[in-house]
Amino acid sequence: MSKIGIIIRREYLSRVRKKSFVIMTFLGPILFIGIMAAGIWVTQVDQTQHHVLVIDHSGLVSQTEQSSNRLESRFQDRFVESSDITYAFTKERPSDDEFKEGPYTLMVEFDDGIFQNHKGYLFYKKVPSVTFTSRLSRELEAALEQLKVTQDLSISFEEYKRLKTPVSLVQKDIEKQDETSLKQEQAAIGMVFAVIIFFFIFLFGSLVMRGVIEEKTSRIVEVIVSSVKPFQLMLGKIFGIGLVGLTQFVMWVLLSFIFLSIAEAVFNAGYLNPSTLVDAQEMANMGNNQADFYQTLAQNDAFNILLRINWPVMLGLFLFYFVGGYLVYASLFAAIGAAVDSETDTQQFMTPVMLPLFFSYLVAIMSVNNPEGMAATIFSIIPLTSPPVMMIRAAMGISGPQVWQLVLSMTLLVAFFFFTVWIAGRIYRTGILMYGKKPTWKELGKWIIYKS
Amino acid sequence: MIRIINQITGPDEGRIVFDGRPQSQDNIYRIGYLPEERGLYKKMKVGEQALYLARLKGLSNHDAKKALKEWFEKFEIDSWWDKKVEELSKGMAQKVQFITTVLHKPDLLILDEPFSGFDPINTNIIKAEILRLRDEGATIMLSTHNMESVEEICDEIALINKSKKILDGSVKDVKNSFRNQTYSISFTGDLLSFGNALWTNFELIDKKSQDDVHKCTIKLGDGKKLNDLLQAVMPTSEIIEVHEVIPSMNEIFIQAVSENQPEIIVES
Repeated sequence: MSKIGIIIRREYLSRVRKKSFVIMTFLGPILFIGIMAAGIWVTQVDQTQHHVLVIDHSGLVSQTEQSSNRLESRFQDRFVESSDITYAFTKERPSDDEFKEGPYTLMVEFDDGIFQNHKGYLFYKKVPSVTFTSRLSRELEAALEQLKVTQDLSISFEEYKRLKTPVSLVQKDIEKQDETSLKQEQAAIGMVFAVIIFFFIFLFGSLVMRGVIEEKTSRIVEVIVSSVKPFQLMLGKIFGIGLVGLTQFVMWVLLSFIFLSIAEAVFNAGYLNPSTLVDAQEMANMGNNQADFYQTLAQNDAFNILLRINWPVMLGLFLFYFVGGYLVYASLFAAIGAAVDSETDTQQFMTPVMLPLFFSYLVAIMSVNNPEGMAATIFSIIPLTSPPVMMIRAAMGISGPQVWQLVLSMTLLVAFFFFTVWIAGRIYRTGILMYGKKPTWKELGKWIIYKS
Repeated sequence: MIRIINQITGPDEGRIVFDGRPQSQDNIYRIGYLPEERGLYKKMKVGEQALYLARLKGLSNHDAKKALKEWFEKFEIDSWWDKKVEELSKGMAQKVQFITTVLHKPDLLILDEPFSGFDPINTNIIKAEILRLRDEGATIMLSTHNMESVEEICDEIALINKSKKILDGSVKDVKNSFRNQTYSISFTGDLLSFGNALWTNFELIDKKSQDDVHKCTIKLGDGKKLNDLLQAVMPTSEIIEVHEVIPSMNEIFIQAVSENQPEIIVES
């Protein structure tokens, strides 16, 4: 085995065997799923059962049903009861005490003044959620609309529905006219990859730095560099820790899938099943015909977005920028580790390395809104910022004239890696054997230029 | 210079000749280096770590393991194999470190302050090992400020002061060159008449008295021999013991460095 191989093996095994690594590997997906489950749970808990008393003073939306002699909704498809909501109608407002002790959770009060001032009142015992409030007002709005159409106009509501013309602009790329454009949604998926790259670089890059500092403070470094070249030691460390990161990442993905399927089997949780998700949406669709339109659109698009992304290319590029970005930053981190004596001294040199990293993250976020903008194009080519930003662009698909930008970006990243590793190697070589003093920027410059 | 031999840093000028040939990459397998600033990975197990360092020196996994077992048995530290380095005391860690330095049977062994951190018993063990390796044919370069060990172990020395070599040669030659006809003589009798007996060309450097035994250090002048001294003092004194005062390496060190001081100052 070559020396770099031996070093990689040690760096890898000594970290993978650590208890903290094993714990994190299992805890990561559990935390991730836990947060997801908590999110679902919270929304479930928030869906309280509402009993709404509609106080319709002027009888606008309710009428007495002949058979039961009770007030009911005037329109068949409005104020429909569902699993989380029931409606009752009255013409007289009950007293406050009656409401407080009664079964109703909400009271909606209005009279024919609502046509002028566009206001009704909502009384509550506990504050309802914003979504629920807007759902109620939408319901009332639609009912009043139907009332106006049928009473004031001499057409049926069906005819009115046909008159109504909701419009949505479907975006089309001039290059690919047969597809509807979902660029921003696709870019959002790219953002997920960008975030992974960002955190990977951040976590494992600083792990490289700490590893170098550890070797310096434990004074083992001179023992080792009497057997191997400092450059080999540095590369071995970077690759070894990179493999640790890849292992952790792959384990997280695998374990997440395993845990998810276990969780689904155990709880038989309907909300994790896409088919029930669609059902729920269809049920919601019955609400408002205008909302219908968008929801059907959104529903189809959720599938579309996933289908639209070229996964082999996407995953390939992800791996490339994941590894490339890590290598570039890790070699810089290694140089920092070599230049200082302890972690507390790193701040001064950390800033110029962290700055482009955070900046690339910011650009990536902005690129989600404007994936083909100038900033996204430029910074997806510059090596220090390209890894996260290019993920966004890759998610939208890269074709035609953009291919050369991608090739340029990849070439630059590789070239830049050789450059940073060269610089880092030179700082490393001198730095690891320097104890007791923190070098200035000028001295670092000298280390780089100094001939061996 | 040690770092240059170990190919850690490059020379400003000049070149290294190793075993008659110019220095090459492969030579690092033939060198064992124990740096002054040394340490081990604190979180790593002793055995694994020693194995790792041995493999970096070009040993195969199998050979390294075998050699390590032998050394661990020899030093009676088998039980440390699975311990972490941070659980060991400094002396124990130094022992492990010494093993990793000599494990690959280097032809050239460079030891920088090898005895720091050792108690006297372990110092002797290490010393014996160093001498044994010398007898087996290894060249050993010992860098130290501990002059006692120089005297005990070294065949040849070179004294470097402010990056200039100020003294070199075999220990015997160096010592001889620092002999200066000085003798220590113990006797009973009258100190005053002893002093009177030392006429010209004898110089009394030091005298100590305990009860009626006197001990004087005397430097002989040019052309005088020990016999002349004895003849001079014999009539008045009962001589108990006479021996030549040979300077220790410690004294030679101090003398050589202080003699060279003015010159250095002029240079700088």
